Amino acid sequence: MSNKVAIIASNGGLFDAYKVFNIATAAAATEKEVAIFFTFEGLNLIHKQAMQQLPMPAGKEHFAEGFAKANVPGIPQLVEMAQEMGVKFIGCQMTMDVMGLTKEDFIDGIEVGGAVTFLEFAKDAAPTLTF
Amino acid sequence: MSIKADVNLDCKGLACPMPIVKTKKAMNDVEDGQILEVQATDKGSIADLKAWSESVGHQYLGTKEEDGVLLHYIRKSGDDLDSEKKFENTITNEEIIDRATNGGIILDVREEAEYAFGHIEGSKSIPMGELEGRLDELDKDQEIYVICRTGTRSDLAAQKLAEKGFTKVVNVLPGMSSWNGDLAKKI
Repeated sequence: MSNKVAIIASNGGLFDAYKVFNIATAAAATEKEVAIFFTFEGLNLIHKQAMQQLPMPAGKEHFAEGFAKANVPGIPQLVEMAQEMGVKFIGCQMTMDVMGLTKEDFIDGIEVGGAVTFLEFAKDAAPTLTF
Repeated sequence: MSIKADVNLDCKGLACPMPIVKTKKAMNDVEDGQILEVQATDKGSIADLKAWSESVGHQYLGTKEEDGVLLHYIRKSGDDLDSEKKFENTITNEEIIDRATNGGIILDVREEAEYAFGHIEGSKSIPMGELEGRLDELDKDQEIYVICRTGTRSDLAAQKLAEKGFTKVVNVLPGMSSWNGDLAKKI
């Protein structure tokens, strides 16, 4: 059985962030080696400023109350926890170039790489998930 | 009634994946064979903690609900090492019920929480760690069938009893992990 979980984060909303980081932290807690490849809008999830206020999908803003009521941890908190448990974050170099961003725009501790960096990790991972 | 645990973890009010994340961290302070109690209100934690335990290699014992709080019991590294068993007088699972009804006693030396979630009706619970201090609860003239999960702890318990002058001691193999009969609960 594979001990790796590979995740592609390609969307930048609040719901996307929860899908990515909940699965990632749960997998890490289950002693899996986890890597997340952040590409295109997925880069929002680890962008220093953007990650603090990720948007809800249009028309779904009323869920904010539900998040508070269910005592769901905030995204920055989940990100910190994921990193603490050894989840590897890989930022997509190509997207960063397109968007004019550098490594300094992102939280500490990320790696920057291209598609092959992720593929190399994912080649023997099961499952590989895309959000 | 409450079930004895070595470590208690409060995850009340926390949503997924926090109960799992905190349980993983708490397990670092639990020794092999000890019992962790996780208190949670997240209903998903029932299925999650069971799956997590199986995946990571701990023994999920069961869950009970008390005043709206879910109490999960997990024994760390539940798969006892299949070590060599030294006590020579043994008996199989299938044989003990008849023998025990003829005046013998089944002594279950697993942890109290393991016993609570499934034991042989009529068996007596004395966890391995408490055995030495509770010898006066046992009768030297009675046949004692010692059982645990896989026969390892009961092997040690049987040796201990023999050492203390109990002569009618039998180790039951393979133990509760292969028990096919009815189970009684005490939760």
